[in-house]
Amino acid sequence: MANGFKHGGYVGQILRVNLGNGGVSKEPLREDWAEDFVGGVGLSARILYEELPPKIDPLGPENKLVMMTGPLNGTMLPAASRSSVCAKSPYTGSFFHSIFGGYLGPELKYAGYDGLIVEGRADTPVYLWIDDDRVEIRDAGHLWGKDPFKTQKILREEIGDEEIHIATIGQAGERGLPYAMILCDIRAAGRGGMGAVMGSKNLKAIAVRGTGGVTVPNVLKLYNTALRLNQLFATSPAVQGLSGYGTPRNVAAMNEGGILPTRNWQTEVFKGMKDITGEVMREKVVKGNRACFACSINCTKYSVVSKGPYKSVINGADYETIYGFGSICEVDNIEVMCKADELCDEYGLDLISTALCIAWAMECYEKGIFTREDTGGIDLKFGNADGMLEMIRKIGEQEGLGVLLAKGTRAASAITGQGSERFAIQNKGMEWPGHTCRPFPAAAVGYATGPRGGSHHDIRPTAEKSGLVDRKTLEGKGALAAEVNHWLILCDSMLVCHLAEPIWGPLKISDNTIEALNVVTGWELNYEEARKLAERQWNMIRCFSAREGFTREDDRLPIRFMEEPVPEGPMKGSIIPRETLERLKDDYYTYRGWDLKTGNPTKQKLAELGLDFAIKDIC
Amino acid sequence: MAKVKVKTFSVIRDVLGADIIEIEVAKPETVGRLFDTLARRYGQPFREKLWDPATGELAPFLIVLNETIIRSTTDMERAIRDGDEVAILFPIGGG
Repeated sequence: MANGFKHGGYVGQILRVNLGNGGVSKEPLREDWAEDFVGGVGLSARILYEELPPKIDPLGPENKLVMMTGPLNGTMLPAASRSSVCAKSPYTGSFFHSIFGGYLGPELKYAGYDGLIVEGRADTPVYLWIDDDRVEIRDAGHLWGKDPFKTQKILREEIGDEEIHIATIGQAGERGLPYAMILCDIRAAGRGGMGAVMGSKNLKAIAVRGTGGVTVPNVLKLYNTALRLNQLFATSPAVQGLSGYGTPRNVAAMNEGGILPTRNWQTEVFKGMKDITGEVMREKVVKGNRACFACSINCTKYSVVSKGPYKSVINGADYETIYGFGSICEVDNIEVMCKADELCDEYGLDLISTALCIAWAMECYEKGIFTREDTGGIDLKFGNADGMLEMIRKIGEQEGLGVLLAKGTRAASAITGQGSERFAIQNKGMEWPGHTCRPFPAAAVGYATGPRGGSHHDIRPTAEKSGLVDRKTLEGKGALAAEVNHWLILCDSMLVCHLAEPIWGPLKISDNTIEALNVVTGWELNYEEARKLAERQWNMIRCFSAREGFTREDDRLPIRFMEEPVPEGPMKGSIIPRETLERLKDDYYTYRGWDLKTGNPTKQKLAELGLDFAIKDIC
Repeated sequence: MAKVKVKTFSVIRDVLGADIIEIEVAKPETVGRLFDTLARRYGQPFREKLWDPATGELAPFLIVLNETIIRSTTDMERAIRDGDEVAILFPIGGG
């Protein structure tokens, strides 16, 4: 295999850059860690557990930013273009993984690195230029303050290569706003403030050019697996539609089913839905598709609003844009959603958290907690599209109420008080995506116990949302949530896209997933072995959180979901009361072999998984 | 014979050609019979949106029958009546 590395799919080398002293080193990838944690998120969790002391300031120079690929990246397998960015999060206070698609991950592999570890802090703004073997830390003074797209354009011109791939932050990351994102070409490592960590290091951008390749044990076997997976993608009922409509394909269906979160989650039916569907988006603004590397799903849309007040050019909109700046703020104009998406990208803001912060402010305004004086003269009622756009600008520019909203709903509601915590839609500090849990107990316990809080990529409600399992019973839902965790984290270590979930999951790790991993690495894992890999990774992340002081008490849901039933529609009456959540947590911890009192892995569990080194820290 | 309205979205709408269609279902008037009738009328383009080619089974998805949520995996024997409204919630994944 490459560089004498034992396993296929790996380059066998990690690039480490210390921005504090300018040091650049190339280190061998530990074979035992690749075997135990695969790559991507799992490997990053192991590295950061080893290298980060507990309780550090996430925006201090001690924190490290790890950009990692997986063994499948850069091969011909479809939906395997993704890469992870991991660090201790300034938003949640624990290990965080933010994942992006596109081309940058495969390019990093082709440059000769399985991953990149950035540590320390530069004295002045810099960017990193990785050109195969040649790695340079370059001055970025002229880029500071520029939006991500302008930064990418300047760097491509400056370096003289249109084909390079670039990760960059916007002003939000430069200012350390805790939900700042990293834009990676046109896709985003959106969540958890990874852009703030990058900004705290004075690192404006990472530009990569690679001309190498990826070695696998048997190219013909790989080709056959790729062919079969592409056929599955093309014919799977649950994957179809992504190419034509992108992720907004389900907006109308979700509204019909009473699960389209609306008005800061006061309800889950949106009367203005018909103007923000995937169908309307395709008819009015979509001009083309932009697929990720080697992916046949082709979900990303290229959209243009060519004139008028909402003139914009975006790569999207995705479902989360339509949820966040549509139904959740009660705005029913697809062109506004495009403008909101563009503004978030330009400032480098996570659009889900931005939208939920504004929706929270709208509810504060509705309830009289905020006045027109507080909002800087904006009539910030639900449905005020221009007011919503102006609030994005205020968050990005750090003006007026935008200063408070940039802290996120957990901090903003703690400062504001007056009961506003009750409608801050977050757990572990992170705002929720547009996938409900009130009718879905497995999703509820998955969200509550997930390491990132409001993330629909620590749990997928799909099994309950599609009727694959009975959503009404509580029985077996702890086990279901755990097995969904497992297929997700294994995919996040291989770095394949969750949108192909019927192929990779959806109830547990599928044969397809194991085959894809085996054919690239040359391993011969069976289901139990693959499951143990995934369980080890999930426990590793839990250990990180436990070492930071997280306990069972942190496994919560937003108060609204435990106290307010869905008021209308087909899911009317759905709610996860506190006692139900606690029962589900007991079920989940028991299935996992975790301590019921603390919610932490037990000594026995850690020993069973080969994580003995963490026993001294958390048991 | 029950005449029912079927609401459709996204790729199912593309096949059926309208947001809402009306269709007559012969006895036994059940949800399963409705889907068989749709499959006969709209043929392979419809089948391939809802039936798993690997197993030949209907994919799991939710159906709204007169504002009640039912499941393709368990409720296909459910009776339908003249004037009923059925919405097909195409197999929904996450974003």
